[in-house]
Amino acid sequence: MRPLTDDETKVFFEKLTKYIGRNIVHLIDRPDEPYCFRLQKDRVYYVSESIMRKTTAIGRQNLISLGVCFGKFTKTGKFRMHITALPSLAQYAKYKVWVKPNGEMPFLYGNHVVKAHIGRVTEDMPEHQGVVIFNMADVPLGFGVSARSTVDMRKVDPTGIAVFHQSDNGEYLREEDALF
Amino acid sequence: MDVTGILDEHKSRFKTIQVDRLIPAELDLGLLACFDVNMIDESKLRANQKTRDSYLRELSREGAQLMVNELFSLPTTVDEDSVYATLPKVRTVLPREKPAPKEKPMTRWEKFAKIKNIQNKKKSRVVYDEEQGEWRPRFGFKGVNNDDQKPWLIEVPGNADPYEDQYQARREEKKERIDKNKRRQQRNFEESVATEKGMKPRDMRKRELQQALVLSKGSTASMGKFDEKLAGEPKVKGLKRKFDPLVKNADKEKSNNMEILNRVAKGESKATVLNVRKAQRAINSAKRSKK
Repeated sequence: MRPLTDDETKVFFEKLTKYIGRNIVHLIDRPDEPYCFRLQKDRVYYVSESIMRKTTAIGRQNLISLGVCFGKFTKTGKFRMHITALPSLAQYAKYKVWVKPNGEMPFLYGNHVVKAHIGRVTEDMPEHQGVVIFNMADVPLGFGVSARSTVDMRKVDPTGIAVFHQSDNGEYLREEDALF
Repeated sequence: MDVTGILDEHKSRFKTIQVDRLIPAELDLGLLACFDVNMIDESKLRANQKTRDSYLRELSREGAQLMVNELFSLPTTVDEDSVYATLPKVRTVLPREKPAPKEKPMTRWEKFAKIKNIQNKKKSRVVYDEEQGEWRPRFGFKGVNNDDQKPWLIEVPGNADPYEDQYQARREEKKERIDKNKRRQQRNFEESVATEKGMKPRDMRKRELQQALVLSKGSTASMGKFDEKLAGEPKVKGLKRKFDPLVKNADKEKSNNMEILNRVAKGESKATVLNVRKAQRAINSAKRSKK
């Protein structure tokens, strides 16, 4: 376990800003308790300072997880978000897509979101922007990347892809052994 | 007719060519330069700008006048369309542009000759070839040490193999001599490089050898992981990664993160300075509402 280097922080924040923009400030600067980002075996964890201090007693080999895993660094130095980061993303998301009840299950099985399943979209969402996907009851289901901007989405036929799938809640079952 | 008035008027229009100096100004006509070492009137220099400018202009005019006076006293040559004055040689010593060349380090032979006090004896370039009856160069083209004028018969030395080709032996011997000299030249060069860098030649050679060894050992597919270790092989020190301490001041970490975030956000704002689509839609909706 160690803090992120400046370069790593930059890569991480660049990815995170795609979903929540400048709202990262609320993650860094919390009123309740100081929180920090820590790296353990290529994974970035968002953890409160007090818990992090307690974890220092555990060896690197033995420590499996702490706090909330936001994602991991690939071997090429890029950052991949994990589904475990969803609650934080959903809280501060800039762009949101709500899917109708008939589109929930297809998305949770790892498919892209088609236009026919979209119930509601945030205004002025640009193309290729990180979006968080909710069901109509405002429960976050996962996140992805917008395939079209809000304006262009109107022109697409109902079977056209609106949001590219990146991660969904179904991964808790599908990727159970690889996720942690 | 009295023309003195006209002459005086004419004269007053031009400044005098007579320049008085307490210390005569030094001239270097070869460079067309005039060096005036007389004191400058400081009160005029510190006066208002007009006085100062006119004073300086006057000073430089007088200097130039002195030089021109001298130029006209030079010997001249007359050409078809003009008169030329021959400038004397430059007297002023100018510093050289490049630094003075460094002294070359001594070769091994030079060092030895110095210790033994061996003087360099001048040898004539040509020697008399008694067989041919002519003077030939000591070396080089058509030199006496070349094999182009080899003897038609060589006596086999008493201790030599009678079937050995004596011409071949001659050639080989010369080749060996050349090679030996080349090796010594190379050694002298390497030693001079080392001494210029302020190192001992032996240490420098050792270091280069070790570098080459490390490089060659890391050149296998496994980057030398399975190579046998040599005796006295240098230990390679890699670059150590350094990380911040795991537990540090939370405020400091926070401010550091904020700084990085600001930088990232700035890059983002640069990318989306103007949302063209949004602007266009706003314009379109405004038009529609007017209708």
